[in-house]
Amino acid sequence: MSDLGTTSTTIDEERAEVVAQARERSRRGVTVEVIGLYVICISIALALAAILVAVTGGSWTAVYTAMLDGSIINSGRIGLTIGVATPILLVSLGTIVNGRAGLVNIGQEGQLVMGACFAAFAAARLDGPGPFVLVVAMLIGVVGGALWAGIAGVLRYWRNVPEVLSTLLLTTVAANLMGWGLRKEWLLLAPASGRANRNQVSEPLPDDTRIPRVTWFGNEFPISAIVAVLLAIVLAVVLGRSIIGFRLRMLGTNPGTAMRAGVAERRYGVAAMLVSGGFAGLAGGFMLAGGDFGNYQLVANFGAGIGFAGLLAALVARQRVLIVIFVAFVFGGLRTGSGFLRATGVSGRIADVVQGLLVLALLLPPAILYVRERRRALAATSARV
Amino acid sequence: MTQHDTIAGGDATSPPAIELIGITKRYGAVVACDDVHLAIRPGRIHGILGENGAGKSTLMKVLIGLVIPDAGEVRRHGTAIRINDPVAAAEHGIGMVHQHFSLVEPLTVWENVALGDVGRLDPRRVRARVGEISEQYGLEIDPDDRISDLPAGMRQRVEIIKCLRRDPEVLVFDEPTSVLSPAESEFLFNALRTVVERDGKAVALVSHRLGEVMAATDEITIMRDGRVVESLSTAEADARSLARAMVGREVSLRGDVIQTGSASDHVHRDRTAEVPVLRITDASARGRDGRVLLDRLSVDVHAGEIVGLAGVEGNGQRALGDVLSSLLALDSGRVEVESREIPTGRAGAMARAGVAIVPEDRHHSGCVLDFSVAENMFIADPERVARRGLMDRGEMARRAEALIDRFDISCAGPDAPMWSLSGGNQQRVVMARELSHDPRVLVAAQPTRGLDVGAIEYLSEQLRAAARGGVGILLISTELEEILDLSDRIVVIANGHIVGEMINADVDLERIGMLMTGAAAESGVPS
Repeated sequence: MSDLGTTSTTIDEERAEVVAQARERSRRGVTVEVIGLYVICISIALALAAILVAVTGGSWTAVYTAMLDGSIINSGRIGLTIGVATPILLVSLGTIVNGRAGLVNIGQEGQLVMGACFAAFAAARLDGPGPFVLVVAMLIGVVGGALWAGIAGVLRYWRNVPEVLSTLLLTTVAANLMGWGLRKEWLLLAPASGRANRNQVSEPLPDDTRIPRVTWFGNEFPISAIVAVLLAIVLAVVLGRSIIGFRLRMLGTNPGTAMRAGVAERRYGVAAMLVSGGFAGLAGGFMLAGGDFGNYQLVANFGAGIGFAGLLAALVARQRVLIVIFVAFVFGGLRTGSGFLRATGVSGRIADVVQGLLVLALLLPPAILYVRERRRALAATSARV
Repeated sequence: MTQHDTIAGGDATSPPAIELIGITKRYGAVVACDDVHLAIRPGRIHGILGENGAGKSTLMKVLIGLVIPDAGEVRRHGTAIRINDPVAAAEHGIGMVHQHFSLVEPLTVWENVALGDVGRLDPRRVRARVGEISEQYGLEIDPDDRISDLPAGMRQRVEIIKCLRRDPEVLVFDEPTSVLSPAESEFLFNALRTVVERDGKAVALVSHRLGEVMAATDEITIMRDGRVVESLSTAEADARSLARAMVGREVSLRGDVIQTGSASDHVHRDRTAEVPVLRITDASARGRDGRVLLDRLSVDVHAGEIVGLAGVEGNGQRALGDVLSSLLALDSGRVEVESREIPTGRAGAMARAGVAIVPEDRHHSGCVLDFSVAENMFIADPERVARRGLMDRGEMARRAEALIDRFDISCAGPDAPMWSLSGGNQQRVVMARELSHDPRVLVAAQPTRGLDVGAIEYLSEQLRAAARGGVGILLISTELEEILDLSDRIVVIANGHIVGEMINADVDLERIGMLMTGAAAESGVPS
């Protein structure tokens, strides 16, 4: 390769060789390693959960059977899991977008709630054929989520407010805004005539503005699940292969170089936040119109932690779009499976702990891998200096 | 104030408070300090003068216990002592005010002074002591001021108070004026004078600024390449000889190289009539802290010409590189490429206008370590390897492969992550990318810093080849050798301003030295 013949060149070639070998070895090793890590972590979590259940007087076999029955084994449960996984997936997709730009959005829960509120408000006031109202309401939901995340984005670049804080704090604001809106008839509260009791709920969507549901192999789920998977595929292409994705990644990994290469930090950063919030807003809209979360209406605590579940799913998938489809399904399964836990006689709190342990088990391997990769990269960099 | 020989408290013959004898420190093959002798006497200010990398800082670190020398010893009043860490140094009465402040911004002055104390905190006593010291030395500072509200000059006073509170016998100042305005510098030197005159303390003042060393010190030691080249009393010194001693190296030998070497390939033409490819006019910029980075800087670069921007580090070179990387916006002045004004501070504007740059800190704005080599080749214009917005990985790899061959980059292939390459090869990737864009102007900022001899040779040849190809090159370097070796024309930067210009053929090292150290104006050298 080189005819300079200086020592440095030989050393470089040797190093290149070593690096190439290491990469080859690691490619084979990593898969085994990852699977191994998951097996270990999940086993520990299951064992701890089993001990906990047994100690508190429950039957751990019944607990695990219930989890599996509730999420995938019993007939129709897969459909339910898909329905729950759909908004989780959408939130994760948004999280990946802001993650690529090097921004941390942890307020998806609030953006999701705002999306649902915007969609509910629009659906109650728009006139026209049902499908048209549905589509427009969902798009307005996207706008709602995007605006909510956009506030944090603008604050970040205009006044240097850390987006980690602003997004999280705006979640509380969103929840309270929804609570307030659900007390005002001109905003979200359903007209008194349509309400069975004095609950603060929004007007249920009429039948023709609900998301159609399909049944595959005895599993019924809303078609929004298909939309979400298609969006995931589109996003995978945009982030992985397009110029926009390339620039976004550059901004996330090295803002200085990005600026020099023509990636305006403010423009791309705010755009990434808008897209991220938009996905969460769409998730909220789909929850409202999908039928797996309540009765096609807003209720108190509408978000139900789906925003946070989506954030976790993105972390577990280590920000990889296609893997997140699977992870979102697993997170959906954890929720639907937990529904059956109550029937085993295990107390609700213990059921929550069991679920939490399993989530931790899923989060640990990516965290371990991440820390180790950083350390390796650092070692490689410092070894050369 | 130029002469202080009559000052009470110390003279050139008084026994030294601290003496360094035969100090040698090696880092691998590099000798940072080579058999250095230095005597710091009570009641005197001792200036230690030298270029960047002359070994001044290493020597001071030996004194303060941050560096353990390979050979030699430190004596205090004639007895050998061991200084293994800064705590030991403090016990031996040596205190240092570092170039970079170590203050906690949200805390107040007295809180910062008290930091690191052990035992019960007595705010009233610390506050009183701070007031006492500041009054005693005319440092005028309110112990209750918050550090974040204070300008650089005041912050340095806090550092000085931190140091004086322990009542040291020897005070070491490392480049104390690098962050100060001229007025603040003057204030500092007055305070130092008080310290030595009244208390008979000894002060070591490390600096690369000839003017201030001439004005503020009693004795001067000049270092170059890790050795002491001259030691004399300030009264005997003259700026010219100091400048030569500091930068001169083997002046005649260097001159021979210039006459016979590569630089003579370029026949200097009078280009004043031509339209320059890069014209910077009256560029001024301030940093976020309000410090002046560039001060009405003007420079032209013509096609096919290598212009060397010489200067001591920290005089605006980095800011100039940032402006030409679109990272910094000018407060006033303009940048034109081929007579077209280019907006500053707008992402990608310079790159689009044809300004290529090999940045000073390639990890900050030259490459993305987490990207592959191929991706790094196309960060500025991925459009070239894309169709309808989607990047063609195959095409990108093929083109990258060609560049890897052409620029002789040693790596595992186009998909190798950038961080797996050595510094020299990373630099080649940056160079390959910038040159493959057919630039009008190439800005090379410290292009060979940290590289080995082979890589330096290679990059120099690339710069020459680019110039032959009609690119205008602005070479920003603190290595005078490099500037002399490559440039057709040399401009000298000091305090963000161009202070002098000459063609390489009639280079005057003395004058460059004077200009670089900002001494030209004071000593009345014609420019």
